[in-house]
Amino acid sequence: MKIKYIILSVLFLILIGAGLGLKMFFKPHDDINKMDANFKVEGVRFINEFKKDENAATAKYSEKVIEIKGKLVAKNTLPNGNNLLILEDEMEGISCELDTDWSKANQPLINGLKIGNPVTVKGVCKGFLMEIKVNPAVIETAE
Amino acid sequence: MHLTNNLNIMKKQLIILVILISSVSVFGQDKFIAKNAYISFYSSTPLEDILGESNEAVTILDATKGEVVFQALMTTFHFKRALMEEHFNENYMESSKFPKAKFKGIIEGFNKDMLKAPVANIKITGQLNVHGVEKTITVPGTIGMEAGRLVATAKFKVTPEEYGIVIPSLVRDKIGKEMEITVKDNYVPFGQ
Repeated sequence: MKIKYIILSVLFLILIGAGLGLKMFFKPHDDINKMDANFKVEGVRFINEFKKDENAATAKYSEKVIEIKGKLVAKNTLPNGNNLLILEDEMEGISCELDTDWSKANQPLINGLKIGNPVTVKGVCKGFLMEIKVNPAVIETAE
Repeated sequence: MHLTNNLNIMKKQLIILVILISSVSVFGQDKFIAKNAYISFYSSTPLEDILGESNEAVTILDATKGEVVFQALMTTFHFKRALMEEHFNENYMESSKFPKAKFKGIIEGFNKDMLKAPVANIKITGQLNVHGVEKTITVPGTIGMEAGRLVATAKFKVTPEEYGIVIPSLVRDKIGKEMEITVKDNYVPFGQ
């Protein structure tokens, strides 16, 4: 009777462990659309902060959700089909790779974006490589 | 006398200026850039293949000496599973401590015509810096024109241990010994 009880409880623990393991393994990526911004910044100031002290800015912003308001200077499509928005400066600005699923559902909005107009983007900051890399990103507001 | 001297100096300066300007147009484009170069990291395991991809690498090709500089932010690698991405950044690459991987190398036997010719095989030798460890490596690749674009690729293998990346023994046997790195860039003229 006692042995039966022990075997059952051990099996139960194994099941819980396996369940948790599987849940962790299949854990989905965070949905950028549902995440709140850790920082709200203005494009030019954001770039200057990285240019002034890249290491400090990387430590502060890397892997954080940032809401950026800036001027749209270019709109590209990457070979993998993802849309890319570049803010403030084509060479040394802010490069935002839009979230794949969000882009698919919002093509009319993306197509309607006008170069030279202000746009507000929310995305995960990845750091600085000539330009600030933001990925994935979604558009919050556009004019 | 004084005036002719001055005139001579001016003439010389003018000639130097003309030579400088014409040399720029003769050599044409010296630098090429790809700001959204592709890089992938691949390893096979019995359970599932692990593939991390980034379209955010930056590379500059200096056509005066055939030098290639390539940099990638570790956090831009995207994996199918969130857990893989987490392990890659936090346990293995330690991305907050070593945010970038860098490669700087010279194309063997480089000459500028290679950039106008169809895609051909090349070898690049240089320093690869990953996880804060620098190694000199020679990698095979290709460079040349493909559908009107200057395209470069490279494919090579690395072992994590070479770069001081510790993989727990429990999972070490289950991950392939070598990781395959694939790189592809579309270069566009830059500067000038």
